[in-house]
Amino acid sequence: MMSSNNEILYLDYAATTPVDKRVAEVMASLITIDGDFANPSSTHKAGRRSTAHVEQAADRLASLLNCQARDLIWTSGATESDNLAIAGAAAYRANRGKHLITMPTEHNAVRDVFRALENQGYEVTWLAPDESGLLNMDAFEAALRIDTQLVSIMHVNNETGVTQDIAAIGERCRRHDVLFHVDAAQAVGKLPLDLATLPVDLMSMTAHKLYGPKGVGALYIADRPDCHIEPLLFGGGQQRGLRPGTLPVHLIAAFGQAAAIAADSMARDLEHLTSLRDRLWQGIRDVPGIVRNGDADASFPAILNVSVDDIEGESLLLALEPLCVATGSACNSHDQEPSAVLRALGRSDELAQSAVRFSFGRPTSAADVDFAARRYCGAIDRLRALAPQQPA
Amino acid sequence: MSSEPYNDVVRGLFGAPAHAGDLNGGITVYVADQGMRIALSTRLSQGNIGALRFRAWGCPHFIAAAEVFCMDFEGRPAADLAGFSTSEIMQTLSVPVEKTGRILVLEDAVRSLGQRVRDRSDPDQGRQ
Repeated sequence: MMSSNNEILYLDYAATTPVDKRVAEVMASLITIDGDFANPSSTHKAGRRSTAHVEQAADRLASLLNCQARDLIWTSGATESDNLAIAGAAAYRANRGKHLITMPTEHNAVRDVFRALENQGYEVTWLAPDESGLLNMDAFEAALRIDTQLVSIMHVNNETGVTQDIAAIGERCRRHDVLFHVDAAQAVGKLPLDLATLPVDLMSMTAHKLYGPKGVGALYIADRPDCHIEPLLFGGGQQRGLRPGTLPVHLIAAFGQAAAIAADSMARDLEHLTSLRDRLWQGIRDVPGIVRNGDADASFPAILNVSVDDIEGESLLLALEPLCVATGSACNSHDQEPSAVLRALGRSDELAQSAVRFSFGRPTSAADVDFAARRYCGAIDRLRALAPQQPA
Repeated sequence: MSSEPYNDVVRGLFGAPAHAGDLNGGITVYVADQGMRIALSTRLSQGNIGALRFRAWGCPHFIAAAEVFCMDFEGRPAADLAGFSTSEIMQTLSVPVEKTGRILVLEDAVRSLGQRVRDRSDPDQGRQ
């Protein structure tokens, strides 16, 4: 859907989603003197009313995930959840062993924690994906050791949409008594997740990927023996001391509302997103030299990532305006290197820098996708027409 | 530091580069370096640059820089090509300093074009 000023067509829902108006109403109602703004740690009546909002939010998120509300810790977002889960679990189990397993296709919020742990003396096995982006289960099984303490594999890749089989990975972790952390920032509220049956110990999530506000997330910690983490922050004792600090009631309640809406609309959303993704791919698949990044059969429907031969990524991004999409071009990101995720899939630097990630959301229409397809094809044609031929 | 990576001049020239194309029968040079590729073509008219065209593969600043060069040099004496410098273009387009190397590829191409023009004007050059 074009923005109200018609200057942009937002197709970057994997980066963040707009706040649902029903969510914004909840949030706005809890920050002024007319609302339940009090500190939920306070024992007076106003504090207890704030606590009720936090508890309702936990119930709503727990209902979405089919887990116990007491198994959820509120954080500032998925990055903090990832840090707390990985560093906290590694620290808790450090006396048993210091071997950890992850993949180079993880989000920076995971990769960088593992790099920091490497600097602290932990040994990390980085399992390369196959060319479709999926974890090779045989290689994974072989990497598990007697001293392995933690495995962290994301559910839905934020760049390619490739979806890992977390049930199968978790089952192997359980067999080896290894904690399993899942960064589910892209999946929560979008794909059905049943934590009562999934063998997952720690799961990171954030509100702003499911039409909630930025600045609030959660970490699921399974209620199992030996599934514990050390805190990273100290002071206040809130949330059993695992993540102290005054709870932002308005953000947490908004997250709960977003979770309730997601639970209600997930099936419809999935159908809608799948049709949009397939429609866009049909519209651009005949562009000469185009390749789809990530396994088409195991990919999350809200993301389509494509690269194309002999196109400069930064110019492509500008030529695509008014589309707001993500790019693999180094010049348009804070990172000066081509996408580590796409390189791990075996893409050349040239293909990686031409990558465009289209991601769709509830407000995206078929007409939006048709416009995007025309814009993409037109931009490729224009840039190729502009390019010089190498002299014979 | 602006959050906007391109100024209005870059956006305008990248979006509608009036000098993009080829000149049949003209003098053409091709340079590829720093991940950028450029072809410059010119047709001379009585010692002046009668027409200039470019083709480029690169970032928006690079493409806009090629267009600025063509706009500025059409109609000027061919001898001016030897004195071409990218410093004014860098300013006009607010090119980030980390892209300096890319814009210098244009400078290399212009110098190469100037040399070809001189060679064409003085066919005896280089025989001594």
